Amino acid sequence: MEAVGDRFSGPLRQRQDTTEIRIRPQHVAEVMRTVNEDDAFRFEILADLCGVDTGTEMQVVYHLWSALTPDWLRVIVEGLSRDDPRVPSVTFLWNGAEWAEREAYDMFGIIFEGNRDLRRIYMPPDYTSFPLRKDFLLPDDAARSPGEGFRHVEQPHQPGESLRRPVLRQGTSELQ
Amino acid sequence: MSEPVNDNDKQRGGAADPPIYMASDTLSQAQGLAVPPEQSVDEPIVVQNTLWSAANPQAYAGGAPSQITHLRALELGDKSDNGRWSALDIIPTKADYVLDLIRLNSLWPLLSGLACCAMEMISAATSRNDMDRFNMFPFRASPRQADVLIVAGTLTTKMAGPLVRLWEQMPEPKWCVAMGDCTCSGGRYKRSYATVEGIDRVLPVDVYVPGCPPRPEGLIYGMMKLQQLIRERRGHWADRAVGPTVPLGV
Amino acid sequence: MTDPTIIRSLDDPDIWVETPATIYDAVPPYPPRTEREAEFYDLRDGEMLLNLGPQHPSTHGVLRVVLKIDGEKVVDLDPVLGYLHRGVEKICENGDWHHAISNCDPLEYVASMFSEAMPVMVAEKLLDLQVPRRAEYIRVLCWELNRISSHALYMGWQALDLGGLTPILYSFIERDEIVEMLAAITGQRLLFNYLRIGGVNGDLNHDFLSRLGDWMSRAGAQLEANTRLLNENEIFVRRMSGLGVVDRETALRTCLSGPVLRAAGVPYDVRRAHPYSVYPELDFDIPTRTEGDSYARYLLHIDEVRESIRIIDQALHEMPDGPIMAKIPRLIRIPPARAWVAIESPRGQYGCYGMSDGSDQPFRLRIHDPSFFNLQAMTDMLPGNLIADSMAIMASLDPIMGGIDK
Repeated sequence: MEAVGDRFSGPLRQRQDTTEIRIRPQHVAEVMRTVNEDDAFRFEILADLCGVDTGTEMQVVYHLWSALTPDWLRVIVEGLSRDDPRVPSVTFLWNGAEWAEREAYDMFGIIFEGNRDLRRIYMPPDYTSFPLRKDFLLPDDAARSPGEGFRHVEQPHQPGESLRRPVLRQGTSELQ
Repeated sequence: MSEPVNDNDKQRGGAADPPIYMASDTLSQAQGLAVPPEQSVDEPIVVQNTLWSAANPQAYAGGAPSQITHLRALELGDKSDNGRWSALDIIPTKADYVLDLIRLNSLWPLLSGLACCAMEMISAATSRNDMDRFNMFPFRASPRQADVLIVAGTLTTKMAGPLVRLWEQMPEPKWCVAMGDCTCSGGRYKRSYATVEGIDRVLPVDVYVPGCPPRPEGLIYGMMKLQQLIRERRGHWADRAVGPTVPLGV
Repeated sequence: MTDPTIIRSLDDPDIWVETPATIYDAVPPYPPRTEREAEFYDLRDGEMLLNLGPQHPSTHGVLRVVLKIDGEKVVDLDPVLGYLHRGVEKICENGDWHHAISNCDPLEYVASMFSEAMPVMVAEKLLDLQVPRRAEYIRVLCWELNRISSHALYMGWQALDLGGLTPILYSFIERDEIVEMLAAITGQRLLFNYLRIGGVNGDLNHDFLSRLGDWMSRAGAQLEANTRLLNENEIFVRRMSGLGVVDRETALRTCLSGPVLRAAGVPYDVRRAHPYSVYPELDFDIPTRTEGDSYARYLLHIDEVRESIRIIDQALHEMPDGPIMAKIPRLIRIPPARAWVAIESPRGQYGCYGMSDGSDQPFRLRIHDPSFFNLQAMTDMLPGNLIADSMAIMASLDPIMGGIDK
């Protein structure tokens, strides 16, 4: 991992068996090609590619492994805006990244430039939301949602009340 | 109908249910107080969806009523001769009794294993817990040849379309078994954005086999219950229920 | 589906959009959305699109593959996933770290100890928690038992996809025995919910040990009997050998892992490359083969079962006494950190990237499933083969849709 530290100018963290570096989206192609092909590194195995929504920004996280070192290398591409996240694709190095990038697009809306097949992989093709974003709320998040208390599942159940038909309580008269 | 308690009737009857007024429950115009429709045991509950409308105006076929027979509001008194049995119409004869025995003793399931419960379904069909003893071994790949649709595994919104298509392709008489918690009610994925919470939202279910996953013995018990249903001429292919079937008082 | 009685239960109206029939037809709505789609749906003379729909006896679960065929030969294919997408990662973010254990169970439903291990090991790594040695040995024991039951399922299913209906009955005898064994300690046959952050849920009991002893005494012979059915079966060998060849460079580029990678000649096994738990103390080999075809993958699975039996033997004999669970509070609040763990599941490298934000809920729990990446090898392996061979090749990749679709 010292080699990574020598060649890399940004912050480098090491914890247990993982070394972590953070880069900007414009450096992705260069950094990935270097760590993949350079003889000092030979990070030939892409273990994982995922997207992260931190609430303020988006990130793409790569995990790499090389036969030369027992440590994992984590590359965090940070600084992606939440409105238009764009990252260069790494499918030119690893074909297997194609579906992982499709998944990150489907779940977060991160556009991978250079991926020849960037369409939704899990949700139906007409789906308009990106589910794993922090602003996509499940019914369990009722307390944090702007429509709190609106739907039946978000209201506490009174004992003895029938579950057969949904009941709209006081405060929802604007719906009628 | 040898058993006095028929779950279908209990859900539809309005007598035991205290009237709960709700805005969307009415077809007449409400001025704040909704009037529940007169409901008898013959009419199904149709909950009009006035709470919201889809963003896409072409969604839900533009609001046109469904053409899917089992989900259409049942019009009793439809005496058209389409060969469909109705439980209230026919007095079973000895020939019908024999036909029922034939049907229940050779139920051919459709291979419709979606997720984890499929593993238990296969376990139920293989050596140790043998469904072949109950004449249910040939899992047909084609819906045209199958009798029972054992839905084993979580139904997602993407899969709901193909599954309903499979159901429609199955010729009558056909039955549906909801295996596993995910098919009964959504199970552990009830709060997810991509699950159909219980297949009874899209299919008429005859037998619910709860469990996560149910043991193969449990599935076999459910299938034996289905055989009992067939023998007693209950079940949904005789009279379709509409909507989720949640027992009262739960 | 268009009936108004279906009560919408989520706020997002798009979720129940009437998906147009075109997405179930083989031909996509024009214009094609991506470059690859345009290339795929551009049919040349004599080519046809065949939809291997979500319900199919050979697709392992609900996988839809659109095949472009020329006669009986597959020219190209377009897999469509998502028919089992349940939103596990989102649900994990809404619950506790402990809830994530049972939420992640059904990701690998044939061998769910491995998928359960993901949130558990990530939480332990984030907390720098030391798991008691007895718990580690029990975990290894259960992992290897799960591996054997998963490989037994694989062997049966491989034959089933080729048309042989008998071997699966034999495999399921094995599998049912192992699964009943595990039900004796965990209480569940399939989705065990047994591993806990800091250890395991319950200690080994007499029922489990007696069943395990019974099984071990005839495991070797039973394995030989089962494999004698298939290994030198001429039909089986001729249908499997030479098909679905993956060479070393393609395997690394496609991010494969597990038996698919090892059959291609790359001796990468997470148990040796990144030792976790007590695997450094156990003596076992990593079977590797160089041919890279389906038959090599099948033989590799059998080799792995033999190695697993060795590991179980050692784990049973070296099992120390002691507690089975570390002392941790019930409410776990993990300070903000990130961690990545990887284990070797029967399908490959199962990984998890966990981020904690100081509260008791995971901030992000990303599960990396090996079947997801292994299935991409299909796009390279299938073209050029007959449709029936495509089934065999897909089966040899051993995909599990629970993990692929999450």
